[in-house]
Amino acid sequence: MSSLPTPRTTTGHLQLTGLEKVFATKKGSFRALDRIDLDIAPGEFITLLGPSGCGKTTTLRIIAGFETPTGGDVVLDGDSIVTVTPEKRPMAMVFQSYALFPHMSVWDNVAYGLKLKKLPAADLKEQVESALTSMGLTQMKDRAPSQMSGGQQQRVALARAMVMRPKVLLFDEPLSNLDAKLRVAMRSEIRRLQKRLGITAVYVTHDQDEAMSMSDRIVVMNEGKVEQAASPAEVYRHPASVFVADFIGRANFLKVAQARPEGEGSARVAVLGAEVTTPAAPGATAGPCVLLVRPESVRLAPTDRAAIGGRVGRILSTVFFGESVEYVVESAEGNITAVEADPEVDKILEPGQMVEIGFGHERSWLLPAGGKEAYQD
Amino acid sequence: MSAIAPPVGTARPPTTAPTAQTPATAPKPPKKVGHDLSTKVLIGLVIALLLLLIGYPLARVLWNAFTADGRQVLSHIFSSDTSNPKVVLRTLILGLTVGSLGTVIGFLIAYAQVRLHYRGKKIVHLLALMPIVSPPFAVATATITLFGRRGLISHGLFGLSISPYGLGGLTFVLALSFFPVAYMNFKGMLEHLDPALDEAAQSLGARKWHIFWTVTLPMLVPGIAGSFLLLFVEAIADLANPLAIGGDYTVLASRAYIAITGEYNLSQGAAYSVVLLFPALLVFLVQRYWVSRKSVVAVTGKPAGKPQLVRSGVGRTVLLIVLGVFVALIVLMYGTVIVGGFIQSLGINNTWTLDNYRFILQGIGSEAMWKTTAMALVATPVAGVLGMLIAWMVVRKLRGSAAGAMDFIGMLGLAVPGVVVGIGYMTAYNKAFVHDGWQFFPALTGGRAIIGGALGIVLVYIIRSMPSGQRSGVAALQQIDPAIDEASTSLGASGLTTFRLITLPLIRPAFLSGLSYSFARSMTTLSPIIFITTPKTKIMTSQIFAEVDAGRFGHAFAYCTILIIIVMAVIGLINLVVRDRSPMANVGLGS
Repeated sequence: MSSLPTPRTTTGHLQLTGLEKVFATKKGSFRALDRIDLDIAPGEFITLLGPSGCGKTTTLRIIAGFETPTGGDVVLDGDSIVTVTPEKRPMAMVFQSYALFPHMSVWDNVAYGLKLKKLPAADLKEQVESALTSMGLTQMKDRAPSQMSGGQQQRVALARAMVMRPKVLLFDEPLSNLDAKLRVAMRSEIRRLQKRLGITAVYVTHDQDEAMSMSDRIVVMNEGKVEQAASPAEVYRHPASVFVADFIGRANFLKVAQARPEGEGSARVAVLGAEVTTPAAPGATAGPCVLLVRPESVRLAPTDRAAIGGRVGRILSTVFFGESVEYVVESAEGNITAVEADPEVDKILEPGQMVEIGFGHERSWLLPAGGKEAYQD
Repeated sequence: MSAIAPPVGTARPPTTAPTAQTPATAPKPPKKVGHDLSTKVLIGLVIALLLLLIGYPLARVLWNAFTADGRQVLSHIFSSDTSNPKVVLRTLILGLTVGSLGTVIGFLIAYAQVRLHYRGKKIVHLLALMPIVSPPFAVATATITLFGRRGLISHGLFGLSISPYGLGGLTFVLALSFFPVAYMNFKGMLEHLDPALDEAAQSLGARKWHIFWTVTLPMLVPGIAGSFLLLFVEAIADLANPLAIGGDYTVLASRAYIAITGEYNLSQGAAYSVVLLFPALLVFLVQRYWVSRKSVVAVTGKPAGKPQLVRSGVGRTVLLIVLGVFVALIVLMYGTVIVGGFIQSLGINNTWTLDNYRFILQGIGSEAMWKTTAMALVATPVAGVLGMLIAWMVVRKLRGSAAGAMDFIGMLGLAVPGVVVGIGYMTAYNKAFVHDGWQFFPALTGGRAIIGGALGIVLVYIIRSMPSGQRSGVAALQQIDPAIDEASTSLGASGLTTFRLITLPLIRPAFLSGLSYSFARSMTTLSPIIFITTPKTKIMTSQIFAEVDAGRFGHAFAYCTILIIIVMAVIGLINLVVRDRSPMANVGLGS
């Protein structure tokens, strides 16, 4: 590996092929990763997202070299690195606990890796200082980590990793110990730096807001498998499975009486007592399917009809949040959640009110009813 | 958790230092408001008890040391026309050698235990704790038997005739006896190092060896200093081994002993022991209030992963060799003790016999065995509860300098060398307290004291073993959210009720290890006891000393074996009896 600061957009092409990790347990074995395939483009910011135990951290630690996969390969810029020890991989990791060396000053922490590269003193000084400047840490370079706030420590950890100019930056839930406001600020800062330096980034989180706001692509994982790897918009609008739809954002899953394909990527379905045309996931009509309608796509209009049935429902609860109002509506198909943004305060519907339920058909999404059964709560 | 607590004074990482890594888990400093009556009474009682147990004896030693005879010793302590400067110098040298050697051994064993994967780890751990439960003469007598002038190994195997007496033998024996302090200290620290630190260094390009030198070791510097200082204090304060294997190498503790028992000069003895007191207290203070503050080991509650193991061939080989030598030594030592008990005179007259055990179990030796065990059993629960009470007051009930003072006075029982405590008790409580014809309380120590002087010995056991419980109690309490106490109070419980129903159950593991360690320490202590044993209260350790002194090693070995068995049996019993069988048993915070 070369330590020259060359433009990075052409290097950092990371490929995972058929990655497997089986842990031996007392009762046999546990399959933490099940044939993970992923092709991460140079300079791409990719997020591994999923509930705890889904295998995202294991994947990251295999990329870093801290875990050895039981099968499959890790390829960086065409070379397999699966047998390369962590210190020889051109990668740097940012840890959840920051893992700053408590007995070293900020400056020494950031200089640690460069010293190991045997950089000339002048270069080292320049690079460390530019890293500190870019993170706004110049004033604090002589402080000990214990004298800093969590956010400042996080910046040091970031500077320490970035200064290495790695081909791949690895993040293990780096923001989970920060408070909400700081987290939002750090998100855009990490994203900005990563874009500027053009370094490939793999970011592990269980926070979907983080994933949505930072990533070029989100990899949604569940039980050791990749459920979907796609852009944030795609994952939100066109989830590949009920699991993805439920994990990202909030979802109503409406029972579909009948569905038949209608041209490329769309289908004709009977739902809420009417027939509508909706975009559909590939192969959704092949078996049992459900219709995904996001709460913000649901429209409610007061009606005089007295009986629940078809499109008619009754409001069960109303919660006013200020910028939005959230209704839960009882319908013939179960309870439906609706969110109205920027509500007019004097037109908020009261519980007990009968309503007609509608939704933008182009916003709905038909997908196979695999996985969990009862999604309506 | 092991049945045996880390020996007292082990600098566990300071659990209070709120690190930024754990903003959520670091408990807030408790708000301390006015105390209810029961708490006030309790605080008063504990203070009175501490004054009785350590305050007054210490004052008496100081007073004695500054009488005419004592002043004479003190004024000549650095004058070259006496042997005194030599004694002081020898004491310091012994402290340095034992401190260094013991710290190195402790570190290596702990490092191997935490960072090496091998079979039989648990056994090595138990072997490493053996010196804690064994009497002071076990290792010394075994060493003389094995490596002495006519030693089984040195002479029998290699035909050498080396003298074990003097600095070399003393250092070897003391390092082997006291290294568990360092071992437990380092083991705790290494286990609490965040594995992410190693990984961070590695992901920045550092190799394992480099990580060891730039990350692991620097973070342990305070721990290394702390271990060294603790071993230093233990070494300079030790009396048993300088008497058994010191030969001509007289140190302050043995000099004080000779002054009192050989020259019948109490003031001189007091003066020598006071010279010992000051470095011991100084080092203790430095260790406690400076080193522990310097500690940078972050306690993250749960370590975020497993520590990285040593996998390189060279590293593994070196560590395994060290472990092997260590295990061989310990097994040899205690093997000699056990086997030696069944032999007429090991190395000289190697015939099997049960006479030694007959002497101890049925003969005149049995008296010491029963009496020592009984007195230690009386002292242990008192020391355990007192330690927890003081810990609770220090952490929860007192504030600022009052908490600091209470903590310090409690720890004095440990920080003050045993010789000083012994001389203090000998002089403070050998006469009844009579004032204006009123007898406040009778003599506690000496032949004419109540219960034959047994009460004095029990009090010494209490004050010597209580600090270990206090320390583990403080550590455990600092990890418990004060809001739990406040919740109990707001539901109507008084301070004492809260302590009994809430605090004590929560710090049960610390209490348990405090009890176990208290008993072990009571059974194996010699330096304070040797000054206050009476014909009616024979103590095992001082009996062993008499046997060693008379050259009857067989008796000594048998005594040591029996003592070790008693200590282990009682610790096992304590764990059985005090163990909570309810489903909440595992809720308690590990100490």
